Amino acid sequence: MERKLYGYRCRKCETLHYPFRMVCRGCGDNDFFEFDAEPLPRRGKLLTFTFVHNLPAVFEVARLGLAIVELENGIRVTGQIEIDDPELGMDVVGDIGIVRRDAYESRYGIIFRAA
Amino acid sequence: MRDVYAVGIGITTFTRLEYPLAEIAAYASMAALKDSGLRTVDHVYVANMGSGRINNQTALASAVVDTLSLTPVGADRIENGPASGASAIKEGFLGVASGMYESALVVGAERMREVNNLEATDFVATLTHPLAEYIYGVTLPSHAAMFARLYMEKYGVTARHLAMVAVKNQNNAMLNQWAHLHQPISLEGILDSPEAMTNNPWVAEPIRFFDCCPVSDGGAAVILASREVAAATGRPMVRLAGIGQATDTLAVHEREEPTDLLAVRRSAAKAYEMAGTGPDDVDVAELHDAFTILEIAESEEVGFFEKGTGHIGLENGETAIGGRIPINPSGGLKGKGHPVGATGVAQAYEIITQLRGEAGDRQVADARIGLTTNFGGFGNNVITMVYQGVK
Repeated sequence: MERKLYGYRCRKCETLHYPFRMVCRGCGDNDFFEFDAEPLPRRGKLLTFTFVHNLPAVFEVARLGLAIVELENGIRVTGQIEIDDPELGMDVVGDIGIVRRDAYESRYGIIFRAA
Repeated sequence: MRDVYAVGIGITTFTRLEYPLAEIAAYASMAALKDSGLRTVDHVYVANMGSGRINNQTALASAVVDTLSLTPVGADRIENGPASGASAIKEGFLGVASGMYESALVVGAERMREVNNLEATDFVATLTHPLAEYIYGVTLPSHAAMFARLYMEKYGVTARHLAMVAVKNQNNAMLNQWAHLHQPISLEGILDSPEAMTNNPWVAEPIRFFDCCPVSDGGAAVILASREVAAATGRPMVRLAGIGQATDTLAVHEREEPTDLLAVRRSAAKAYEMAGTGPDDVDVAELHDAFTILEIAESEEVGFFEKGTGHIGLENGETAIGGRIPINPSGGLKGKGHPVGATGVAQAYEIITQLRGEAGDRQVADARIGLTTNFGGFGNNVITMVYQGVK
């Protein structure tokens, strides 16, 4: 099964959310189960980034790249980056991979590289 | 609602403390009770963020009230991340203002050094969005770093400005006996000299070691009371005149303008409105400088400077003791330390000390109105308070 990152679109006002929430920020509609999941685009621009040096012990790397990316449809997501020399505004493309390995499970999320 | 006054304050040294969390809270509480002259109160509020996770102790309020032998007085533990302290003060205010209680003890305490630095950072990171942030390795320093990078790009803030906040606040902390860091630093040592990058390594680029607050243990307490009870103590009265609280999206990436801290702006506006004051009336402020960039950004959002110009005011010395609007005379989180649950109460401790005129070498001259901003999450949940000295 191909893994994807999903956004959640309100059936009433069509506002797209990421991450999931129970009540729409756009129209405040509070019926239950009023969102449709839809895959988010993989491409976007690097809005901001950092390399973290003091990580929780579960990350067995010396330096981890993190970023906020503005996707093609305007939705922003937080993810990891595997880019040597990132620049603000550069084009990136994301794939789903393992972003964290805890004792009993691997967590999947989006990892961006230069487009 | 009736007026509420602070009539007693207490604090512990902020450092690594080798005694149990409930005793840290009790020590600050006893100091505050002694300061007020009261032997007991009608209710106890205990602010703490992490006892269940890092100290393996839940229901902390029951332990604190028992350690103080204040039973059967009612007691609650208040958890609101790094803004737990101000949340507890707000709850204490409501208890007294409503008439339900005549007096209340609000104490914040945290014992973070029971775990190592990486575990402490991971513990604080659990306040981020579990699925959209935390799993990726997002920490509070990483949020501060991504925010700082945008601020630098947009407003011309430089590493030098960040270092200037660190130098100012650690030098202020030299004047505060309770502060964690009694280590004077200079721009030479952390920025300019050949050794500077060794002294001051990256934590999360562009944030360096000296841009971050230390991980501290500590407690702080304040006694709140009605006018009648406060006047009867004979202690200097400081009125809690305004409280504003605002929230923002849990995932930081959802904020429309990523260089705004809207919850700070909105909490300050509410606090000013309630107090009938504005930013120009404030004589002294304690802002939540867990990272140096936050002092600059918050000083703008609470209205001391136009957006994007806080670093200019800093450069001109306006935020130093003796400047136009002294910020963090206590040393702030940066110099004094940041035991997360205690911080909001420790900010109140400093402002009340300043408004009483009891701050010694770090006293801000003629301080009549003081402001605190306690920043929970990465601006997810922020409380601003305005205090007024009563002659």
